[in-house]
Amino acid sequence: MERAIQLPNDEQRVTDIYAVAQHRDQAALGRLFDHYVPKVRSFCLAAQPGANLMADDIAQEVMIRIWNKAHTYKPESASLNTWVFTLARNARIDYLRRNSRHQSDIDPEYLWEHVIDENADPFKDAQQKRDQERIQQGLDKLPPDQKQVLSKVYLEGKTHKEAAEELSLPLGTIKSRVRLALHKLTIYVKR
Amino acid sequence: MINYHPSIEILTDYAAGSLPLAHSLCVSTHLERCPECQQQIRKLEMLGSHLFDQAQTESRQLSNLKDSFFKNLAQQPSPKEDHKVSPQEDKSIRWDDYAIPRSLRQFITKSYDDLTWMRLSPSFKIATLYNEEGGAQIALTRVKAGAHMPTHTHTGDEITLVLEGAFSDESGIYRQGDFINRDASHKHKPIVTKDAECICLTVLDAPIEFTGWLTRLLNPIVRRYHPHSH
Repeated sequence: MERAIQLPNDEQRVTDIYAVAQHRDQAALGRLFDHYVPKVRSFCLAAQPGANLMADDIAQEVMIRIWNKAHTYKPESASLNTWVFTLARNARIDYLRRNSRHQSDIDPEYLWEHVIDENADPFKDAQQKRDQERIQQGLDKLPPDQKQVLSKVYLEGKTHKEAAEELSLPLGTIKSRVRLALHKLTIYVKR
Repeated sequence: MINYHPSIEILTDYAAGSLPLAHSLCVSTHLERCPECQQQIRKLEMLGSHLFDQAQTESRQLSNLKDSFFKNLAQQPSPKEDHKVSPQEDKSIRWDDYAIPRSLRQFITKSYDDLTWMRLSPSFKIATLYNEEGGAQIALTRVKAGAHMPTHTHTGDEITLVLEGAFSDESGIYRQGDFINRDASHKHKPIVTKDAECICLTVLDAPIEFTGWLTRLLNPIVRRYHPHSH
Protein backbone atom coordinates (compact mmCIF):
# COMPACT_ATOMS: atom_id res chain seq x y z
CA MET A 1 0.00 0.00 0.00
CA GLU A 2 1.04 3.53 -0.69
CA ARG A 3 2.42 5.51 2.20
CA ALA A 4 1.46 8.96 3.38
CA ILE A 5 2.77 11.75 1.17
CA GLN A 6 6.49 12.16 1.72
CA LEU A 7 9.04 14.26 -0.12
CA PRO A 8 12.37 12.53 -0.85
CA ASN A 9 13.95 13.95 2.34
CA ASP A 10 10.90 12.83 4.23
CA GLU A 11 11.40 9.35 2.83
CA GLN A 12 14.89 9.31 4.28
CA ARG A 13 13.40 10.23 7.64
CA VAL A 14 10.80 7.48 7.42
CA THR A 15 13.66 5.05 6.72
CA ASP A 16 15.43 6.52 9.73
CA ILE A 17 12.46 6.04 12.01
CA TYR A 18 12.31 2.35 11.00
CA ALA A 19 16.02 2.03 11.65
CA VAL A 20 15.46 3.50 15.10
CA ALA A 21 12.51 1.21 15.78
CA GLN A 22 14.05 -2.01 14.49
CA HIS A 23 17.79 -1.64 14.94
CA ARG A 24 18.03 1.03 17.68
CA ASP A 25 20.15 2.94 15.17
CA GLN A 26 21.62 5.99 16.92
CA ALA A 27 23.02 7.49 13.71
CA ALA A 28 19.48 7.54 12.30
CA LEU A 29 18.27 9.12 15.53
CA GLY A 30 21.02 11.73 15.14
CA ARG A 31 19.72 12.66 11.69
CA LEU A 32 16.20 12.98 13.06
CA PHE A 33 17.63 15.10 15.87
CA ASP A 34 19.25 17.48 13.36
CA HIS A 35 16.02 17.87 11.46
CA TYR A 36 13.44 18.05 14.22
CA VAL A 37 15.12 19.64 17.22
CA PRO A 38 15.37 23.14 15.64
CA LYS A 39 11.67 22.88 14.73
CA VAL A 40 10.62 21.74 18.19
CA ARG A 41 12.68 24.53 19.74
CA SER A 42 11.01 27.18 17.54
CA PHE A 43 7.64 25.69 18.36
CA CYS A 44 8.39 26.12 22.09
CA LEU A 45 9.93 29.57 21.74
CA ALA A 46 6.83 30.73 19.85
CA ALA A 47 4.79 30.00 22.98
CA GLN A 48 7.38 31.28 25.49
CA PRO A 49 9.76 33.71 23.76
CA GLY A 50 13.25 33.63 25.24
CA ALA A 51 12.67 30.44 27.24
CA ASN A 52 15.70 28.64 25.80
CA LEU A 53 16.07 26.17 28.66
CA MET A 54 12.46 25.13 28.35
CA ALA A 55 12.89 24.74 24.59
CA ASP A 56 15.97 22.53 25.13
CA ASP A 57 14.17 20.40 27.72
CA ILE A 58 11.12 19.86 25.55
CA ALA A 59 13.20 19.18 22.43
CA GLN A 60 15.16 16.50 24.30
CA GLU A 61 11.96 15.04 25.66
CA VAL A 62 10.53 14.81 22.14
CA MET A 63 13.67 13.02 20.96
CA ILE A 64 13.41 10.56 23.87
CA ARG A 65 9.79 9.92 22.93
CA ILE A 66 10.82 9.35 19.31
CA TRP A 67 13.45 6.86 20.54
CA ASN A 68 11.01 5.06 22.82
CA LYS A 69 7.95 5.12 20.59
CA ALA A 70 9.42 4.72 17.11
CA HIS A 71 7.87 1.23 16.92
CA THR A 72 4.38 2.72 17.39
CA TYR A 73 4.64 5.02 14.36
CA LYS A 74 2.20 3.94 11.67
CA PRO A 75 2.69 5.57 8.28
CA GLU A 76 -0.87 4.71 7.23
CA SER A 77 -2.31 6.77 10.10
CA ALA A 78 -0.19 9.90 9.83
CA SER A 79 2.81 11.35 8.05
CA LEU A 80 6.01 11.42 10.10
CA ASN A 81 5.78 15.22 10.39
CA THR A 82 2.28 14.97 11.82
CA TRP A 83 3.39 12.30 14.26
CA VAL A 84 6.31 14.42 15.48
CA PHE A 85 4.09 17.49 15.68
CA THR A 86 1.71 15.62 18.00
CA LEU A 87 4.67 14.45 20.13
CA ALA A 88 5.92 18.04 20.38
CA ARG A 89 2.47 19.38 21.17
CA ASN A 90 1.95 16.81 23.91
CA ALA A 91 5.42 17.33 25.38
CA ARG A 92 4.84 21.09 25.47
CA ILE A 93 1.46 20.66 27.18
CA ASP A 94 3.03 18.28 29.69
CA TYR A 95 5.93 20.63 30.43
CA LEU A 96 3.65 23.64 30.91
CA ARG A 97 1.33 21.62 33.11
CA ARG A 98 4.12 20.53 35.42
CA ASN A 99 5.80 23.91 35.59
CA SER A 100 2.95 26.39 35.54
CA ARG A 101 1.59 28.45 38.39
CA HIS A 102 -1.57 26.37 38.35
CA GLN A 103 -0.30 22.84 38.30
CA SER A 104 -2.78 20.34 37.04
CA ASP A 105 -2.93 16.67 37.83
CA ILE A 106 -4.81 15.87 34.67
CA ASP A 107 -2.50 13.57 32.77
CA PRO A 108 -2.45 14.72 29.13
CA GLU A 109 -1.07 11.34 28.08
CA TYR A 110 -4.60 9.95 28.20
CA LEU A 111 -6.19 12.81 26.32
CA TRP A 112 -4.53 12.74 22.93
CA GLU A 113 -2.83 9.41 22.53
CA HIS A 114 -5.90 7.39 21.69
CA VAL A 115 -7.04 9.64 18.90
CA ILE A 116 -6.60 7.23 16.08
CA ASP A 117 -9.06 6.28 13.46
CA GLU A 118 -9.90 2.71 14.30
CA ASN A 119 -12.21 2.03 11.39
CA ALA A 120 -9.98 0.44 8.83
CA ASP A 121 -10.65 2.11 5.53
CA PRO A 122 -9.05 0.78 2.34
CA PHE A 123 -9.11 4.30 0.85
CA LYS A 124 -7.56 5.86 3.93
CA ASP A 125 -4.07 6.21 2.50
CA ALA A 126 -5.27 7.86 -0.70
CA GLN A 127 -7.63 10.06 1.28
CA GLN A 128 -4.87 11.07 3.62
CA LYS A 129 -2.60 11.92 0.73
CA ARG A 130 -5.28 14.12 -0.81
CA ASP A 131 -5.93 15.88 2.50
CA GLN A 132 -2.22 16.52 2.99
CA GLU A 133 -1.88 18.02 -0.48
CA ARG A 134 -4.94 20.21 -0.11
CA ILE A 135 -3.80 21.51 3.25
CA GLN A 136 -0.25 22.16 2.15
CA GLN A 137 -1.24 23.94 -1.06
CA GLY A 138 -4.09 25.81 0.58
CA LEU A 139 -1.88 27.05 3.40
CA ASP A 140 0.45 28.81 0.95
CA LYS A 141 -2.48 30.69 -0.56
CA LEU A 142 -4.12 31.88 2.66
CA PRO A 143 -4.33 35.64 3.24
CA PRO A 144 -1.79 36.75 5.90
CA ASP A 145 -4.44 37.70 8.47
CA GLN A 146 -5.89 34.18 8.40
CA LYS A 147 -2.50 32.54 8.57
CA GLN A 148 -1.50 34.81 11.45
CA VAL A 149 -4.44 33.63 13.55
CA LEU A 150 -3.67 29.96 12.78
CA SER A 151 -0.07 30.54 13.87
CA LYS A 152 -1.23 32.12 17.11
CA VAL A 153 -3.39 29.12 17.90
CA TYR A 154 -1.04 26.37 16.76
CA LEU A 155 2.44 27.70 17.34
CA GLU A 156 1.97 30.17 20.16
CA GLY A 157 -0.51 27.90 21.90
CA LYS A 158 -3.16 30.58 22.31
CA THR A 159 -6.87 29.93 22.52
CA HIS A 160 -9.19 31.84 20.20
CA LYS A 161 -10.00 34.14 23.12
CA GLU A 162 -6.35 34.87 23.90
CA ALA A 163 -5.59 35.49 20.22
CA ALA A 164 -8.46 38.00 20.11
CA GLU A 165 -7.12 39.84 23.17
CA GLU A 166 -3.61 39.95 21.85
CA LEU A 167 -4.57 41.24 18.41
CA SER A 168 -7.15 43.63 19.95
CA LEU A 169 -9.83 42.19 17.71
CA PRO A 170 -13.32 41.01 18.59
CA LEU A 171 -13.55 37.27 19.28
CA GLY A 172 -16.04 37.03 16.41
CA THR A 173 -13.43 38.29 13.95
CA ILE A 174 -10.90 35.70 15.11
CA LYS A 175 -13.48 32.95 14.89
CA SER A 176 -14.51 33.92 11.37
CA ARG A 177 -10.90 34.14 10.20
CA VAL A 178 -10.20 30.64 11.49
CA ARG A 179 -13.42 29.31 10.00
CA LEU A 180 -12.67 30.89 6.62
CA ALA A 181 -9.17 29.45 6.66
CA LEU A 182 -10.34 25.97 7.66
CA HIS A 183 -13.05 26.14 5.03
CA LYS A 184 -10.50 26.95 2.32
CA LEU A 185 -8.30 24.11 3.50
CA THR A 186 -11.40 21.87 3.33
CA ILE A 187 -10.91 20.93 6.95
CA TYR A 188 -14.11 22.51 8.09
CA VAL A 189 -17.37 21.48 6.52
CA LYS A 190 -20.46 22.97 8.07
CA ARG A 191 -22.64 20.24 9.58
CA MET B 1 -26.17 8.76 16.72
CA ILE B 2 -24.31 11.74 18.10
CA ASN B 3 -25.99 15.05 17.29
CA TYR B 4 -24.09 17.58 19.36
CA HIS B 5 -20.41 18.10 18.69
CA PRO B 6 -17.72 20.47 19.96
CA SER B 7 -17.53 23.67 17.86
CA ILE B 8 -14.78 23.90 15.27
CA GLU B 9 -13.07 26.47 17.52
CA ILE B 10 -12.91 23.98 20.38
CA LEU B 11 -11.67 21.20 18.08
CA THR B 12 -9.00 23.51 16.66
CA ASP B 13 -7.79 24.59 20.10
CA TYR B 14 -7.76 20.93 21.15
CA ALA B 15 -5.73 19.80 18.12
CA ALA B 16 -3.36 22.72 18.62
CA GLY B 17 -2.99 21.87 22.30
CA SER B 18 -4.11 25.32 23.46
CA LEU B 19 -7.43 24.22 24.98
CA PRO B 20 -7.41 24.03 28.81
CA LEU B 21 -6.86 20.46 30.04
CA ALA B 22 -10.26 20.20 31.73
CA HIS B 23 -12.01 21.05 28.46
CA SER B 24 -9.65 18.78 26.53
CA LEU B 25 -10.78 15.95 28.78
CA CYS B 26 -14.38 16.43 27.58
CA VAL B 27 -13.32 16.66 23.93
CA SER B 28 -11.23 13.52 24.30
CA THR B 29 -14.16 11.63 25.83
CA HIS B 30 -16.41 12.79 22.99
CA LEU B 31 -13.84 11.68 20.39
CA GLU B 32 -13.86 8.14 21.72
CA ARG B 33 -17.42 7.89 20.47
CA CYS B 34 -17.34 10.19 17.45
CA PRO B 35 -15.52 9.05 14.28
CA GLU B 36 -16.70 12.21 12.53
CA CYS B 37 -14.86 14.52 14.93
CA GLN B 38 -11.86 12.16 14.91
CA GLN B 39 -11.60 12.81 11.18
CA GLN B 40 -11.64 16.55 11.79
CA ILE B 41 -8.95 16.23 14.44
CA ARG B 42 -6.83 14.20 12.04
CA LYS B 43 -7.00 17.03 9.48
CA LEU B 44 -6.46 19.72 12.10
CA GLU B 45 -3.34 17.88 13.25
CA MET B 46 -2.13 17.74 9.64
CA LEU B 47 -2.59 21.50 9.48
CA GLY B 48 -0.64 21.82 12.73
CA SER B 49 2.20 19.76 11.32
CA HIS B 50 2.48 21.99 8.24
CA LEU B 51 2.61 25.12 10.39
CA PHE B 52 5.14 23.37 12.63
CA ASP B 53 7.20 22.43 9.59
CA GLN B 54 7.12 25.91 8.08
CA ALA B 55 7.95 27.80 11.27
CA GLN B 56 11.15 29.86 11.18
CA THR B 57 14.07 28.13 12.83
CA GLU B 58 17.08 29.94 14.24
CA SER B 59 20.55 29.03 13.07
CA ARG B 60 21.84 28.13 16.49
CA GLN B 61 24.56 25.61 17.17
CA LEU B 62 22.92 22.64 18.76
CA SER B 63 25.94 20.36 19.02
CA ASN B 64 26.20 20.75 22.81
CA LEU B 65 22.55 19.89 23.17
CA LYS B 66 23.03 16.91 20.88
CA ASP B 67 26.03 15.64 22.86
CA SER B 68 24.23 15.87 26.15
CA PHE B 69 21.14 14.26 24.64
CA PHE B 70 23.09 11.20 23.49
CA LYS B 71 24.84 11.01 26.84
CA ASN B 72 21.46 10.96 28.59
CA LEU B 73 20.11 8.46 26.11
CA ALA B 74 22.76 5.94 27.10
CA GLN B 75 21.30 5.99 30.60
CA GLN B 76 17.70 5.55 29.46
CA PRO B 77 16.04 2.26 30.35
CA SER B 78 15.01 0.36 27.25
CA PRO B 79 11.49 1.20 26.11
CA LYS B 80 8.65 -0.81 27.50
CA GLU B 81 5.73 -1.94 25.45
CA ASP B 82 2.81 0.39 25.73
CA HIS B 83 0.69 -1.36 28.30
CA LYS B 84 -2.00 1.25 28.66
CA VAL B 85 -5.44 -0.29 28.74
CA SER B 86 -7.58 -0.08 25.65
CA PRO B 87 -11.16 1.15 26.04
CA GLN B 88 -12.69 -2.30 26.18
CA GLU B 89 -10.15 -4.04 28.37
CA ASP B 90 -10.39 -4.39 32.08
CA LYS B 91 -14.14 -4.10 32.00
CA SER B 92 -15.39 -5.86 35.04
CA ILE B 93 -18.78 -7.44 34.65
CA ARG B 94 -21.32 -5.86 36.90
CA TRP B 95 -25.02 -5.22 36.83
CA ASP B 96 -24.65 -1.81 35.32
CA ASP B 97 -21.89 -2.90 32.93
CA TYR B 98 -20.82 0.63 32.10
CA ALA B 99 -17.54 0.94 30.23
CA ILE B 100 -15.45 3.77 31.65
CA PRO B 101 -14.12 5.96 28.83
CA ARG B 102 -10.38 5.70 28.48
CA SER B 103 -9.88 9.41 29.07
CA LEU B 104 -11.51 9.12 32.52
CA ARG B 105 -9.52 6.13 33.70
CA GLN B 106 -6.99 8.33 35.37
CA PHE B 107 -9.80 9.21 37.80
CA ILE B 108 -11.99 6.10 37.79
CA THR B 109 -10.30 2.75 37.79
CA LYS B 110 -13.17 0.31 38.05
CA SER B 111 -16.68 1.60 38.34
CA TYR B 112 -18.68 4.77 38.72
CA ASP B 113 -19.97 3.24 41.97
CA ASP B 114 -16.53 3.47 43.56
CA LEU B 115 -16.58 7.28 43.46
CA THR B 116 -17.63 9.38 46.43
CA TRP B 117 -21.07 10.59 45.43
CA MET B 118 -22.66 13.54 47.18
CA ARG B 119 -26.43 13.36 47.19
CA LEU B 120 -27.96 16.76 46.47
CA SER B 121 -31.53 15.47 46.20
CA PRO B 122 -33.17 12.02 46.24
CA SER B 123 -32.61 11.68 42.51
CA PHE B 124 -29.49 13.77 41.90
CA LYS B 125 -25.90 12.95 42.89
CA ILE B 126 -22.60 14.55 42.07
CA ALA B 127 -19.02 13.24 42.36
CA THR B 128 -16.05 15.55 41.96
CA LEU B 129 -13.26 13.99 39.88
CA TYR B 130 -10.84 16.83 40.09
CA ASN B 131 -10.65 20.47 41.09
CA GLU B 132 -8.09 22.42 39.15
CA GLU B 133 -6.29 24.91 41.30
CA GLY B 134 -7.80 28.27 40.38
CA GLY B 135 -9.53 26.59 37.47
CA ALA B 136 -12.38 24.37 36.59
CA GLN B 137 -14.27 21.72 38.48
CA ILE B 138 -14.57 18.37 36.77
CA ALA B 139 -17.42 16.27 38.06
CA LEU B 140 -19.83 13.52 37.21
CA THR B 141 -23.55 13.99 37.74
CA ARG B 142 -25.87 11.04 38.10
CA VAL B 143 -29.61 11.51 37.83
CA LYS B 144 -32.30 8.84 38.19
CA ALA B 145 -34.49 7.84 35.24
CA GLY B 146 -37.30 10.30 34.63
CA ALA B 147 -36.08 12.77 37.24
CA HIS B 148 -35.79 16.51 36.86
CA MET B 149 -32.51 18.16 37.55
CA PRO B 150 -32.97 21.27 39.64
CA THR B 151 -33.31 24.45 37.53
CA HIS B 152 -29.97 26.17 37.43
CA THR B 153 -27.99 28.91 35.75
CA HIS B 154 -24.29 28.87 35.08
CA THR B 155 -22.04 31.47 36.56
CA GLY B 156 -19.35 30.44 34.09
CA ASP B 157 -19.10 28.23 31.01
CA GLU B 158 -20.25 24.66 31.38
CA ILE B 159 -19.46 21.66 29.22
CA THR B 160 -21.62 18.57 29.61
CA LEU B 161 -20.87 15.27 27.98
CA VAL B 162 -23.45 12.49 28.16
CA LEU B 163 -21.73 9.27 29.27
CA GLU B 164 -24.77 7.07 29.85
CA GLY B 165 -28.52 7.52 29.35
CA ALA B 166 -30.11 10.66 27.94
CA PHE B 167 -31.70 13.92 29.03
CA SER B 168 -33.63 16.73 27.44
CA ASP B 169 -34.19 20.41 28.05
CA GLU B 170 -35.92 23.30 26.29
CA SER B 171 -33.46 23.09 23.38
CA GLY B 172 -33.33 19.39 22.59
CA ILE B 173 -32.58 15.82 23.60
CA TYR B 174 -29.04 14.74 24.37
CA ARG B 175 -27.78 11.19 24.12
CA GLN B 176 -24.63 9.23 24.77
CA GLY B 177 -21.58 11.03 23.40
CA ASP B 178 -23.32 14.39 22.89
CA PHE B 179 -21.20 17.40 23.77
CA ILE B 180 -23.08 20.40 25.12
CA ASN B 181 -21.43 23.76 25.74
CA ARG B 182 -23.42 26.37 27.68
CA ASP B 183 -22.38 29.86 28.62
CA ALA B 184 -23.14 31.94 31.68
CA SER B 185 -26.38 33.39 30.29
CA HIS B 186 -28.04 30.03 30.00
CA LYS B 187 -30.71 28.93 32.44
CA HIS B 188 -32.12 25.47 31.99
CA LYS B 189 -34.11 22.67 33.51
CA PRO B 190 -33.00 19.28 32.24
CA ILE B 191 -35.14 16.15 32.53
CA VAL B 192 -33.70 12.66 32.29
CA THR B 193 -35.50 10.26 29.94
CA LYS B 194 -37.66 7.62 31.60
CA ASP B 195 -35.84 4.50 30.39
CA ALA B 196 -32.52 4.79 32.24
CA GLU B 197 -30.47 6.84 34.64
CA CYS B 198 -28.23 9.49 33.15
CA ILE B 199 -24.54 9.97 33.93
CA CYS B 200 -22.80 13.05 32.60
CA LEU B 201 -19.31 14.44 32.72
CA THR B 202 -19.39 18.15 33.47
CA VAL B 203 -16.73 20.80 33.53
CA LEU B 204 -17.67 24.01 35.27
CA ASP B 205 -15.52 27.11 35.03
CA ALA B 206 -17.49 28.54 37.97
CA PRO B 207 -20.10 26.99 40.27
CA ILE B 208 -23.62 26.49 38.93
CA GLU B 209 -26.39 28.30 40.75
CA PHE B 210 -29.71 26.70 41.51
CA THR B 211 -32.60 29.07 40.93
CA GLY B 212 -35.58 27.09 42.25
CA TRP B 213 -36.97 28.38 45.59
CA LEU B 214 -36.08 25.24 47.52
CA THR B 215 -32.95 24.13 45.66
CA ARG B 216 -31.40 27.56 46.29
CA LEU B 217 -30.49 26.05 49.64
CA LEU B 218 -27.96 23.89 47.75
CA ASN B 219 -25.93 26.85 46.52
CA PRO B 220 -23.63 27.16 49.54
CA ILE B 221 -22.88 23.42 49.33
CA VAL B 222 -22.14 23.53 45.63
CA ARG B 223 -19.93 26.58 46.07
CA ARG B 224 -18.02 24.93 48.87
CA TYR B 225 -17.02 22.13 46.52
CA HIS B 226 -15.89 24.42 43.73
CA PRO B 227 -12.18 25.31 43.60
CA HIS B 228 -12.81 29.02 43.05
CA SER B 229 -14.24 29.39 46.52
CA HIS B 230 -11.22 27.96 48.33
